[in-house]
Amino acid sequence: MPARIDVHHVAKLASLTLTDAEVQRFGEDLQTIVAYVAQLDELDTADVPPTAHVQLDRLPLRDDVVKPGLSHEDAVAQAPAVEAGGFAVPKFVE
Amino acid sequence: MKPGVIDIAESVRTGRVAATQVTAQALERIEARNPGLHAFLHVADAEAMAQARAVDGKRARGEALGPLAGVPVAIKDAICTRGLPTTAGSKILAGYVPPYDATVIERLRAADAVVVGKTNMDEFAMGSSNENSAFGPARNPWDTARTPGGSSGGSAAAVAARLAPCALGSDTGGSVRQPASLTGTIGIKPTYGRVPRYGLIAFASSLDQISPLATDVRGAARVLSVIAGHDPRDSTSLDVPVDDFEAACGRSVKGLRIGVPEEYFGEGLDEEVGTRVQAAIAYLKAEGCVVRPVTLPHTRFAVAAYYVLATAEASSNLARFDGVRYGLRIDPDSELRAMYGATRDAGFGAEVKRRILLGTFVLSAGYYDAYYLKAQRVRTLVRRDFEAAFRDVDVICSPTSPTPAFRLGEKADDPLAMYLSDVYTLPASLAGVPAMSVPCGATAAGLPVGLQIVARPLDEATMLAVAAACEVAFPCASPP
Repeated sequence: MPARIDVHHVAKLASLTLTDAEVQRFGEDLQTIVAYVAQLDELDTADVPPTAHVQLDRLPLRDDVVKPGLSHEDAVAQAPAVEAGGFAVPKFVE
Repeated sequence: MKPGVIDIAESVRTGRVAATQVTAQALERIEARNPGLHAFLHVADAEAMAQARAVDGKRARGEALGPLAGVPVAIKDAICTRGLPTTAGSKILAGYVPPYDATVIERLRAADAVVVGKTNMDEFAMGSSNENSAFGPARNPWDTARTPGGSSGGSAAAVAARLAPCALGSDTGGSVRQPASLTGTIGIKPTYGRVPRYGLIAFASSLDQISPLATDVRGAARVLSVIAGHDPRDSTSLDVPVDDFEAACGRSVKGLRIGVPEEYFGEGLDEEVGTRVQAAIAYLKAEGCVVRPVTLPHTRFAVAAYYVLATAEASSNLARFDGVRYGLRIDPDSELRAMYGATRDAGFGAEVKRRILLGTFVLSAGYYDAYYLKAQRVRTLVRRDFEAAFRDVDVICSPTSPTPAFRLGEKADDPLAMYLSDVYTLPASLAGVPAMSVPCGATAAGLPVGLQIVARPLDEATMLAVAAACEVAFPCASPP
């Protein structure tokens, strides 16, 4: 079990800008929850395979065929910013 | 007692009543009751009346009507509805209007149902009390100082107050069964993969399942039969035949073996809830069921395993809310990473942030094996518990929730206490097996108590037979 969860690091990984008060509060909450989760260590699971998903063996795949989808207009209709028919984002390369 | 799903559909099909009349009555009732209950976030007055007119038009032209002809349906706001706002209870999606219908909505419309509105929910289905809705909680019609449960609390409150005879919710760890229990309604979580999730805003993809609620078992079964069945747009949707769920409600339960797990009747269970549930099991025994003890030894580890797995999946699923393609954007200094961070900080509520952080942590380098992989292994143990128990019994009966409806505010500041209120519903979710909640009486204070019935994978039919038998003694009551 980790001594201390680095909330700043985790928030960065999650693309969340947190206030100092949030860092404090969520840090305490996470520590409590992770301490509770530590009870899983009581179980010896060395020989138990993980379950990622309950029915992977039965999942069907559809044929790879092009079908009509959303129109271009519908696809961008809800975007906060649109330029030249595309999703507009702030600059991310110099 | 307001008419249920089947009464309405048959009356509309035979022309005894017009769909427009049923819809207008439902909308009037919503208008009168919703301000006190906050069950609906959006009421679709005009669209509902248009849909009802279309149903009446079909009948006037002599066309055959579908199995939900003119039936008002309330839809959890996590399910995409073309042209109707869909927020998942979050500020980050305030004002979002999907350009397409979820598969279940297409199927409801094809069955001639009438969508009357979008119901309140915990933000992104994360919560057990509705208090995590960014728009304020729904309230329990039995006592408006109390929660209707969560996360599908708005759908449950709407059905309990007879604002609609049926609704759709989604159940990831109990989000339909627990609200059904707390509001005295029927809530069915089908087998994982039974109902396609195309158009459901994802929370935890290996667990999420769209689930109907209704005022009676047959009505819920009919809604399930409409929405179930393979959809090529959801790769987790099972390509298996849809059973006649309604006919299953008439099956005899004589000789069925009911397992009662001791782990579900221990510490933390409200005494009155335990008594009501035991009385319902005794009733089923008197009806000819064979009752025997079973053991599900890993039950007490389910909460810990669930909160690792569900938050891990949520942290990944909710990465899509980034202020680019839809929803809120906060852009303080025109820099991409800062825009992501500011948008997500402003758009998500506290519980969603908490779960994204927890999920990100358990997936992060150095902790993956200790938490995520460990929880996946424990999930296998929980599945094996059910597999072993179902070698000896046909269904498993237990309380749905350890307590009746609690007061709003009672657990709001203690995330772990809130998580533990899902202790009886999470194991069936982890195992992917079907489970439902049916009323089994009330506490001395008049609060509903729910019986959970769990069955083998794809054996909703046997579960529904037991539920229908139970309903004879414990029908859904109407709140005062």
